[in-house]
Amino acid sequence: MSNDTLTHSLTFTEAPAALTVVVDPTPQIARGSAVVVERRRPKAAGWSLLQGLGVVVDHWRKSFRKLDDTTQIAGTFTTEYPEERLPLPEAYRNMPILLFDDATGHELCTSCFQCQRICPPQVIHMTQAKDPDTGKPVPAVSEFIIEYDACMSCGFCAEVCPFDAIKMDHNFELSTADHSSLTVHKTDLLRPISYYQSIAPTFWAEAEASAYKKLETNKKRRPATIGIAPQMLAQLKAAHELRDDQQEATMPTTAVASAPAPATSSAAPPARSAALAASASDLPTDKAARLAAIRARNEAKAAVQAAPATASAAPAASDGGDLPTDKAARLAAIRARNEAKKAAEQAAAAEAAPTLATPDMPPTDVQPAASEQAAPPAPTVPDASLDEKAARLAAIRARNEAKKADEQTAAAGAAPTLATPDVPPTDVPPATSEQAAPPAPAVPDAPLDEKAARLAAIRARNAAKKAAQAEGE
Amino acid sequence: MITTDELQINIGPQHPSTHGVFRMLITVDGETVVNLEPVFGYLHRNHEQLAEVNTYLQNMPYTDRLDYFNSMANNHAYALAVEKLAGIEVPERAEYIRVLMVELTRILNHAGAVGFMINDMGAWQTPLAFGIREREKILDLFELVSGARMMCNYFRFGGVVRDLPDDFIPRLKKLMVAMPAYIDELERLLRENEILLARSEGIGILPREVAVSYGVTGPVLRGSGIAYDIRKAEPYSIYDRFDFDVPVGSVGDVYDRFLVRIEEMRQSRRILEQIIEQLPDASGGHINPKARQNVRPPVGDAYARIESPKGELGFYLVSDGSTKPYRYKVRAPSFINLTPLGDMCRGYKVADIVVILGSIDIVMGEVDR
Repeated sequence: MSNDTLTHSLTFTEAPAALTVVVDPTPQIARGSAVVVERRRPKAAGWSLLQGLGVVVDHWRKSFRKLDDTTQIAGTFTTEYPEERLPLPEAYRNMPILLFDDATGHELCTSCFQCQRICPPQVIHMTQAKDPDTGKPVPAVSEFIIEYDACMSCGFCAEVCPFDAIKMDHNFELSTADHSSLTVHKTDLLRPISYYQSIAPTFWAEAEASAYKKLETNKKRRPATIGIAPQMLAQLKAAHELRDDQQEATMPTTAVASAPAPATSSAAPPARSAALAASASDLPTDKAARLAAIRARNEAKAAVQAAPATASAAPAASDGGDLPTDKAARLAAIRARNEAKKAAEQAAAAEAAPTLATPDMPPTDVQPAASEQAAPPAPTVPDASLDEKAARLAAIRARNEAKKADEQTAAAGAAPTLATPDVPPTDVPPATSEQAAPPAPAVPDAPLDEKAARLAAIRARNAAKKAAQAEGE
Repeated sequence: MITTDELQINIGPQHPSTHGVFRMLITVDGETVVNLEPVFGYLHRNHEQLAEVNTYLQNMPYTDRLDYFNSMANNHAYALAVEKLAGIEVPERAEYIRVLMVELTRILNHAGAVGFMINDMGAWQTPLAFGIREREKILDLFELVSGARMMCNYFRFGGVVRDLPDDFIPRLKKLMVAMPAYIDELERLLRENEILLARSEGIGILPREVAVSYGVTGPVLRGSGIAYDIRKAEPYSIYDRFDFDVPVGSVGDVYDRFLVRIEEMRQSRRILEQIIEQLPDASGGHINPKARQNVRPPVGDAYARIESPKGELGFYLVSDGSTKPYRYKVRAPSFINLTPLGDMCRGYKVADIVVILGSIDIVMGEVDR
């Protein structure tokens, strides 16, 4: 490109005052007019700088005051994340999750493939479940994968889902060093309905009736063991076995629940009846039950908080002294992880079963047992030849595994503990009870007391977490 | 006598003034720019081709990512194009909600554009923080209605995805109370600032003939003294129902573009106040119930354009009767406005290039697509 090709090249050196106004006078503008913006000059040298400085100083002066009114423009409105969090609007969408029924563990998804079809980046993959006896497809999903790393959070999947089975989660703290963990499988996608209700109460209230109605229809069309959330399946089965054991041991005369299989269909009725019993308060039955479930889950979470620490305290064990260091470490890690998993499962089972069987038993009897089981003694003596770093790595892995397992059990444990909605949470530390109190997103104009309480709860929880971690290390 | 040689140097493609991956090949004679050639394409991501394998609705979230500052405006232009093609009616309340969102977008875009331009002048962060502050409040409103702050994906064919939540209008009214004070403050801080005047007055002049010949639109064109605004020239949606003025510049330099943007924020506020007054209270009126998600427009083509905060944003669609567009073309304002950069910079100093680039207000996501 040379200079000559552009005839209108500019060589501007004059002062701007020499320029002429070039407003086009022709356009006819309806309901308004063309306004030439006023080019102002400073009144005196340095005046404008002082004026600008005045604005900055004014803000500095007002920065000592917390801004709580959006009609004001000066003041501090910093949010001390992560201790403080702004309430997320219900419409907030981050990553898709799948829902299952709290009481029965039934997944709402029927594998209709609508979300897979609409997904713009094509990150949803699913396979339809088949009846194990006939081999025919049934309205349930056997595997469901969402690639979180490529998801664009558009929310179309949740919009098109006719069964309200897929919803957008509010959790945005998903960062991880493990890329492959962002290909999320069904077990990790599933959340209880009560969870979604806690993050989006009005959205769920709109969808609730039709969602449950459709679920009931679909339940009839699929075998009893198909379409149950895997975490719930294990819990309910374990709960059933343990309940039978206990009934034989403690009250052999009242052998009521004699049909053990299929676990889910028989586990559901007690939960439902308990929910009905909870209607003593003026809340609607289902709402009260779900509230109890949320509370119970929070309680369970608090109770098993000790578990990760103790599980990680179990040192990575290795008896193959002649193995290469990294191999030995990996072996140790696998063992520790398995141990932790087993412990967590046992804990959950122990927790779920007794509460289900004996509605009047206070949870205090359950949770110590659970945490004991969750923290088994170190399986073997730590090998001296093991690299210290590898051992630490193994411990961290085991702890993470245990944490994950605990979270799942906590979620799954919500439904069985439904049976004891009237038992007061006696052993819960004050911080956690506060935590359990506001499960629903806060009202924007909430009074300061409530905010302060929430802040205190968050701080207490963080402190507890830190303490647990310190103990683990 | 000393003879000088012209020197060719690159600015970019990494981050000339934080605006994205954009390269400028400049020829300088000492400090003076003799020639400047903008080179784009580093952010190309096959947007238009991708749109032809997606269904019409699936393209909606991709339009968010064109000009990621103004996802609502992008949604609007695309929705208008598809509605024109498929003949979908939009309920009145939905129209008001749409215009409401786009005008909020205009305010936040100009707040950001002014802030970033002054950032480019070297006033690192402070004026930008003043611009970003009100932008945050608007983004909070977007999050409230659409669920996302920037990638809103809020518009649907025949309306918007969901109605305004109950606390939206009260929060918007609060923001409207703050807005005049905010704009006044921004002016007090910057309008007569001598450093800003020294860096912007008479810099980067784009004469109106040149602007027209390049097809420049938006605040850059109006800064050059041509009162052309698609909201007035070819009113789409319900823009013919609102009173607002079209600010124009008198010189066509960087300073005029800055002033035009400040004034446009005021005019947008005027429109918003009229919307709050007129907003029809029809529950469920946010979307045409007959509009289907999987549109299948008849064979034909359509071009719809809006006055996006950066200029004329148009979508040209050709339908072959299937669920996917046969051709999908974006007329992006940033791209067209960037082409006369060479003419705007010629004759000025090297340090002015970045300021001139900042005054055009580009987003590379839209330039390269």
